[in-house]
Amino acid sequence: MNWLYDSVEPRVMDEDLLKLAVGEQGPRDEAGQLARQEGILFKDVLSLRLDFQNILRIDSLWQFENLRKLQLDNNIIEKIEGLERLVHLVWLDLSFNNIEAIEGLDTLVNLEDLSLFNNRISKIDSLDALVKLQVLSLGNNEISHMMNIIYLRRFKDLRTLSLSGNPIAEEEDYKMFICAYLPDLVYLDFRRIDDHMKELAEIKHQYGIDELKQRENLSQAQLDDERAQREELEEHKAAFVERLNGSFLFDSMYAEDVEGNKLAHLPGVSELLQAYKDKFVIICLNIFEYGLKQQEMRKVELDTFNECVQEAIQENREQGKRRIAKFEEAHLLSLNAIRDESEVTNLEMKVAEHSKDITELFDMLMTLEMQLVEQLEETINTFERNIMDLVALFIENVQSLMAQCRDLENHHHEKLLEISINTLEKILKGELDEDLPYDVRALFVDKDTIVNAVGTSHDLHLLKIDNREDELVTRTNSWCSHLVDAIHKDEIMRNRRRVKEIHQYVDHVQNELDNLECSEIID
Amino acid sequence: MEVLKEKVEEEEEAEREEAAVRAERGEKVVRPMEVRREEAPMTQEMLRDLERKLSDTEMAIPEKLSTFTKDTIAISKLPLSYQSNTLKEEHLLQVADSFSRQYSHLCPDRVPLFLHPLNECEVPKFVSTTIRPTLMPYPELYNWDSCAQFVSDFLSMVPLPDPLKPYQEGNCFDFSTLLCSMLLGAGYDAYCVNGYGSQDMCQMDLTRDVCPLTVKHQEVVQEEEKVPPKKYAIKPPRDLTSRFQQEQETKKQEEIKAEEERRLREEEERLLDVEKAKTDPLHGLRVHSWVLVLSGKREVPESFFIDPFTAHSYSTQDDHFLGIESLWNHKNYWVNMQDCWNCCKDLVFDLGDPVRWEYLLLGTEKSHLSLTEEEEDGLNDDDDVENLGKEDEDKSFDMPPSWVEQIEISPEAFETRCPNGKKVIQYKRAKLEKWAPYLNSNGLVCRLTTYEDLECTKTLEIKEWFQNREDMLELKHIDKSTGLNVDYFKPGHPQALRVHSYKSMQPETDRIMEFYDRARVDGLVKREETSKTMTEYYRGRSDFLFYRHVSFGDRVKKLSLNSAESNPRPIVKITERFARNPEQPADEDVAERVFLISEERIQLRYHCRDDHITASKREFLRRSEADNKGNKIVMTPDMCISFEVEPMEHTKKLLYQYEAMMKLKNEEKLSRHQAWESELEVLEILKLREEEEEEHRLTISIYDTKRNEKSKEYREAMGSPQADPPPPPPPPPPPPRRVMHEEHLRQVEAPLDYLAPFLAQLPPSEKMTRWQAMRVKDECLSDIKQRLIDKANLIQARFEKETQELQKKQQWYQENQVTLTVEDEDLYLSYCSQAMFRIRILEQRLNRHKELAPLKYLALEEKLYKDPRLVEFMKVFV
Repeated sequence: MNWLYDSVEPRVMDEDLLKLAVGEQGPRDEAGQLARQEGILFKDVLSLRLDFQNILRIDSLWQFENLRKLQLDNNIIEKIEGLERLVHLVWLDLSFNNIEAIEGLDTLVNLEDLSLFNNRISKIDSLDALVKLQVLSLGNNEISHMMNIIYLRRFKDLRTLSLSGNPIAEEEDYKMFICAYLPDLVYLDFRRIDDHMKELAEIKHQYGIDELKQRENLSQAQLDDERAQREELEEHKAAFVERLNGSFLFDSMYAEDVEGNKLAHLPGVSELLQAYKDKFVIICLNIFEYGLKQQEMRKVELDTFNECVQEAIQENREQGKRRIAKFEEAHLLSLNAIRDESEVTNLEMKVAEHSKDITELFDMLMTLEMQLVEQLEETINTFERNIMDLVALFIENVQSLMAQCRDLENHHHEKLLEISINTLEKILKGELDEDLPYDVRALFVDKDTIVNAVGTSHDLHLLKIDNREDELVTRTNSWCSHLVDAIHKDEIMRNRRRVKEIHQYVDHVQNELDNLECSEIID
Repeated sequence: MEVLKEKVEEEEEAEREEAAVRAERGEKVVRPMEVRREEAPMTQEMLRDLERKLSDTEMAIPEKLSTFTKDTIAISKLPLSYQSNTLKEEHLLQVADSFSRQYSHLCPDRVPLFLHPLNECEVPKFVSTTIRPTLMPYPELYNWDSCAQFVSDFLSMVPLPDPLKPYQEGNCFDFSTLLCSMLLGAGYDAYCVNGYGSQDMCQMDLTRDVCPLTVKHQEVVQEEEKVPPKKYAIKPPRDLTSRFQQEQETKKQEEIKAEEERRLREEEERLLDVEKAKTDPLHGLRVHSWVLVLSGKREVPESFFIDPFTAHSYSTQDDHFLGIESLWNHKNYWVNMQDCWNCCKDLVFDLGDPVRWEYLLLGTEKSHLSLTEEEEDGLNDDDDVENLGKEDEDKSFDMPPSWVEQIEISPEAFETRCPNGKKVIQYKRAKLEKWAPYLNSNGLVCRLTTYEDLECTKTLEIKEWFQNREDMLELKHIDKSTGLNVDYFKPGHPQALRVHSYKSMQPETDRIMEFYDRARVDGLVKREETSKTMTEYYRGRSDFLFYRHVSFGDRVKKLSLNSAESNPRPIVKITERFARNPEQPADEDVAERVFLISEERIQLRYHCRDDHITASKREFLRRSEADNKGNKIVMTPDMCISFEVEPMEHTKKLLYQYEAMMKLKNEEKLSRHQAWESELEVLEILKLREEEEEEHRLTISIYDTKRNEKSKEYREAMGSPQADPPPPPPPPPPPPRRVMHEEHLRQVEAPLDYLAPFLAQLPPSEKMTRWQAMRVKDECLSDIKQRLIDKANLIQARFEKETQELQKKQQWYQENQVTLTVEDEDLYLSYCSQAMFRIRILEQRLNRHKELAPLKYLALEEKLYKDPRLVEFMKVFV
């Protein structure tokens, strides 16, 4: 029927159109009267119907932040767009339009029901974000390839699917194929799939499914592995000792070291290098383990601290609640008494008394709060000191371990230099038996060259070690200061909130009293 | 065995048996032996009598227990072992005699031993052989406490007129022998004790004991474990109160407390004086027998005494037990050689210690000597002789098997428990009555009456226990002083009632009903009522409601014709409280809502946020529906007063408030309806309770074939003739439900009716016409014909299929014969032989079917002709 609309002038989705629709579909009767009086904000609207409006382009919907249900059927929309802000959408109807491709739905993570019936879609695609999808209607489209079905396997909650009126529905295997590849589906083309059918389909496509499953499982396992690795790395990063549980640092030292690699060809160097590496890795491992242990200690410290603080806050809160509950009882009674009082002097007395009560409550609550603030401050300071100490100790120990690394490097350097000079002498004397690669031999021209080469390699290694150490120290320190800052900030925020709350409550109570007074006086 | 030189008359021992011995200690010298001897046989008889009754289930024990004359005991009926001694037993008796002689020679100032009383057949029997360890088939009797309770209930104790001759009745020995047998059977290390008890104990006088049922369990206040202060625990705020003042205060309070305590103590002393009975002139002389359970077996941590009369357990230090002469079990006999000047408190129950416990037979396993031997004066010379004797005597002599028949207690007797199914025990300020189940028509099994005074004249409270009630009533507690009645129910009451406490059964009075909330759809736990209010507590509801309080106003007097029922009390106020719904934010989750119906106000209080101390509140007023000018006011800002912890934009809108109010109005209606329904339910329950009280029907298990008439009939009909029907007690009529159930069972059992499906097709008129009968018959016959043909066809089809397959296979074999491997050929051959076998079987079946089918058909036809439903039509036809 789209031709009918094609001949009519397309309408623009503007403010007026939306206002009209909202007004029409808003509350009725008395509530409607109120609504008109106050006006309805677009962001309060939960459901909107815009069918048969001859809309060509979806627009101006960004204000409907809380929309749950949107109907845009029977328009002449050609492209799905402008729906990015409607993240709470659960129900979307775009049937009977001229859409050619599925797109622009990537933010609608809450969508459960999507209808794209009677459009011009040829490929099921771009639905990855719709993890909660339950109902998908794609009938009367131009989907022609069976493989589109396999795409739908990722929607674990999909229960209803309609695809009739598509070219694939003509294929003889259509039903069987879908039943087999989407085993959780309950309704296909608005008919319930019976169990018998399911069984048959399963048997028929068993090989295909098994293969597919195998592939899916493999990729899933791979993903899991990757995730696990990433998580582990994260954990190590949190302990500031990532990649120290192996020869990573050592390898990185030699990765850019051209001279070092060349020198490895010298006789005796490879053994030296191996021994050096072994020792180096052992130290790295020490650092790594020490780091994890320290991280655990810091965590325990932090947990204990948080727990204690939470306990204190909870207890304080309970006290406050008790006070308020007690006050509230008295408050109600005295308000009633004031209301019933007729004599002016008594009235004034009572009002004054009650005002005093309110002030007392305020003082009491504030005292409680200030007390808590003091207590927490002390605790926080203790914690701060302790965590600083812990971090300092950690850094100190790591630095000493790093120093060992450096010693190793120095030692290695000396040995290497010795070997190099020996080799040089041998070469100069022509006594060298072994063949050295050409570029290595190029280093042994004179003493300066070879000393320089060895020196460069050594400097590079030291630089790497220094860098790693610096990184560790900086990150640890910054973590520490961030933590302490955050704790202080949280506490301040908490204090402000509570004070605000107390003020607000007391104001409210005072207002109640004042209003009563006013009305009394007016009476 | 010890051999002592002096001989003592056997008669003396017999007397001792009688159990009275201790009491006589003082008079022993004075009394002539003959007198005592005459009295001896009675106790033994008693003992036998009891045992015999126990072993003979056919006899109604309770009726006869109280009569102790010889006539009642048909001695001739007793088994041979009761009437004579075996050789071994004779030997044992001789041994015992010699032991006794030595003993009386060595300890002339002690009472002769209680070794072999005469039984009801006047035959002397050694005490240990009287014990017959028996494990009862009832799981309830596996533990000592229930066992002791059973024995104390099962036998009746006859009060003794003369405390000096307790042996005339003397059945404390019967009690302890029976209990000891059962405990040994259940695996306890139990012993019969012959000793001296206090007056109360010997006479089973519990009037000065506090009834165990009245003792309230003291609640154990669990000390909360003090968690060590954590590292970052906050410091408590500084204490600004004066310490001096505190000290003064505590001092003052301590003084007051001390004063109070003193007063209490004085009071108590006074009471004690009043209660203390006159001292017993025969203190320490009253013979008693009880049971000792030693630690070790069955995980008994500490040795203790059981008084078989009352089934109470006592520590071995208890004041009631004044001394022990001897003790025995089914294996051996020990004489106490320890001094009992301080009651039983200093006794050491180490039976392996020959200094403390002189044994009669050697070679039992009780030979552990845990203490180092101590020299005790006066006993040293014994030891030497003892050792000599040990060497001389045959060490392997062991106790002959018990001459008593296996103790059997029939299920009826077990259930009846008390003699006559009834027992009354008088305690201090309390009276306990027990009945057997089904004895009382209202199911009463136990009643405890507590009195205010010692003379038991002013009733304080009554507790009644019930069993097998159809309304599941378990306990009725009537407090006379307050007039409060409390009924306790087991699960299964039609209204899921658990506890009902009330003063009167009139509606709209003070009452508390508690319910089994899991059995109720609405999760109601408790409903408290006063004349003006009703409070309900709920648990586990999906709407998180846990409390509803309804206050009623005075009933408006109506002049209408309606009855009182249709004039409910007006509801003034409904308060409902809700638990936190974790799915909603705290600001939108109502914690309490109050419908002030008369003031037309609704108050809401919301839950408190996790980090806040104040909660949002909202109050709706609906004072006027129309303003002065008659315009309808929908909603004005002053109709809703709210305090919000964190003001939100959308809640300020009138529309929001209007919708909230509309919703609340609906909910108010629902709540009112709920309150009204609750009232109705109370009325209904009260009515039901009254009916139940009047009818008090009892339930009978369908497995109880003795009481359940229908079940019994059915069982007999099922053909179990060997089950002899014992006289059933008056059975109450079984409820109709069960009848239907059994009817159904019977139907299932009935033989297959081959006409039923065809008869069912006919119109359900009373009479079958002849034409219809013919049709039924024809249909039935044609049906069987069809079935027979179908079966033949089926066999034929299978036969053909099998043949075809075989042919195919043969063909394939012919074609590929050249290329086949040996294995394939083997496979083919085995297949062929199997297929041939199947074909042959099918052929046989087909042939047999062909033979049998006409016969089957004819048989059915004949049967139909004789069928009682069709016979009259057929006769004419034939």
